[in-house]
Amino acid sequence: MSGGHAVSAALLIPVVQFLQVSTVAAGAPGISGVIARMEARLQGRRGPRVLQPYYDLAKLFRKEALAPEGASWVFLAAPLAAMTCYLTVPLLIPVLTSYPLPLGYMGDILGGGFILSLASFAVAVAALETGSPYAQLGASRAKTFGAITEPVVLFVVFTVALVTGTDLPYALAATVRSSAGQIVRPAHLLAAAALFMVILAETGRIPVETHTGTNEFGMIEEARPFEHSGPYFALLRWGSAMKQLILYTILANVFLAPWGLATTARAGAVGLAIVALLAKACGIGVVVAVIDNSFAKLRLFKITEFTAGAFLLAVLGVFTLYLGGG
Amino acid sequence: MDRVYALAGPVQPPGVFAGSANVVSVLVLLAEFGMLRQALLRDQIRLYAAQSGLISVLAVIIAAARHLPDLYALAALSAALKVVTVPVVLRRLLRGTGPDGAPADGADIAGSGTLSVASTVLGAIVVAAFGFFSVGALGIRGPVLPVTALAVSVSVALVAFVLMIVRRDVASQAIGFFSLENGISLAALVVAAGLPLILETAFLFDLLVAVVVFGMLIRIHHGRAESLSTAELTSLRG
Repeated sequence: MSGGHAVSAALLIPVVQFLQVSTVAAGAPGISGVIARMEARLQGRRGPRVLQPYYDLAKLFRKEALAPEGASWVFLAAPLAAMTCYLTVPLLIPVLTSYPLPLGYMGDILGGGFILSLASFAVAVAALETGSPYAQLGASRAKTFGAITEPVVLFVVFTVALVTGTDLPYALAATVRSSAGQIVRPAHLLAAAALFMVILAETGRIPVETHTGTNEFGMIEEARPFEHSGPYFALLRWGSAMKQLILYTILANVFLAPWGLATTARAGAVGLAIVALLAKACGIGVVVAVIDNSFAKLRLFKITEFTAGAFLLAVLGVFTLYLGGG
Repeated sequence: MDRVYALAGPVQPPGVFAGSANVVSVLVLLAEFGMLRQALLRDQIRLYAAQSGLISVLAVIIAAARHLPDLYALAALSAALKVVTVPVVLRRLLRGTGPDGAPADGADIAGSGTLSVASTVLGAIVVAAFGFFSVGALGIRGPVLPVTALAVSVSVALVAFVLMIVRRDVASQAIGFFSLENGISLAALVVAAGLPLILETAFLFDLLVAVVVFGMLIRIHHGRAESLSTAELTSLRG
């Protein structure tokens, strides 16, 4: 391997850091496209092009932006604030490299979680600004269920902290790589499963919400940007695609498969890491598409059962660690 | 007091054998939690079969890790009895107990929980935690003993009690009882893997007796009350 890549030049660290963010930003709509395509194929439809989300975004960016009467500057600032948050998180997590980059220590997993919920808070406030019943319904539901999924995330973080002695995502990825015993320990598997369930809920996938559809009554995440239009709507759509890819990256590169990351700053290794990341995200996307097609959407009042299940997994993970056997 | 509670540094992984034993026992516990929310009798029985299958898998893991060839035989016997025979016998006994004499698969046990599913699960988490930490407080340690698996087995037994308490249908209560036995088997496998085969087999056949007795009770109850629900039992009869 080293012989083959010896010719490729080493990149500057800031360039690698920039690539982390731009990979997530540029790849995110594509992952959504892959999932939509996969889902359609599984249902026997031809489905949209994989690149369709990019065309949608390009179209929306050319359109005129309108705001509902009486909406204040918050309504227009929220998409920008959310996008800023989504552009910050990739700096904190191992996207391309197995070694921490200089800005990677700005925040731990909890910090990343805070920034993600700040983005969701901004979108919810904008939805409240509109006065539209569906947007407000979506925002209020998203916050209600968020109050149940966030303890799960906290317990996942506790598990990580107990396993590694720190709560830095890079440290957990390194621990998982270190031995087979680290992979089969129940705490690790339970935390990963709980995180996956939270990701399904947070990205609006099937046991919780139909991702594409026009059924307003069942909508949670999807209903919030109803009143935005033009470039602002494009930013929100792009942001939610980025949030999805960020969560997939955390699941793949920290918990399930922290392999294939670049160990050096060489251009070849980083390029391979980009391909590996997108492949892993597509893999998770295929699993999500299969789940989308094999289960029915839960009734709104049954969603607590789903989140209680995730909570159970996360809590059991911490329990097993306390007896030293996890 | 150098108990494992002192979590100064990272918790070291228990090794591949103990790790996989622990994972299987945690899956047994999760199956028990699954039974708390199951709405169809057919799925309840399937879940029990799956749980019993996991116990057999654990027996195979322990047999391989500790070189106890007896346990392979026990795993096969336990699978034959609990994964195949007991579910078949249960389905036979429950035949005709559905609404209008339909097959038991259609029997509705959906609304039989006294509490909502989410509250039941949260309550059961507390009960499971009690089981976990009480075993931890006993301070049992051994060179070949996966303590977590032992603690999980206690939790399985306690959650099985929760299942029997919160469900108001005889079928779930019977399955709660059988899965309680699964929890005990789990503990037996972890603590006393070297128990003579004849004793283990005797325990397994005890279960078969319990299945028949419970099956008869279910049929008698259904014959009198025309329903699987035990809610009828609370009213007095002259």
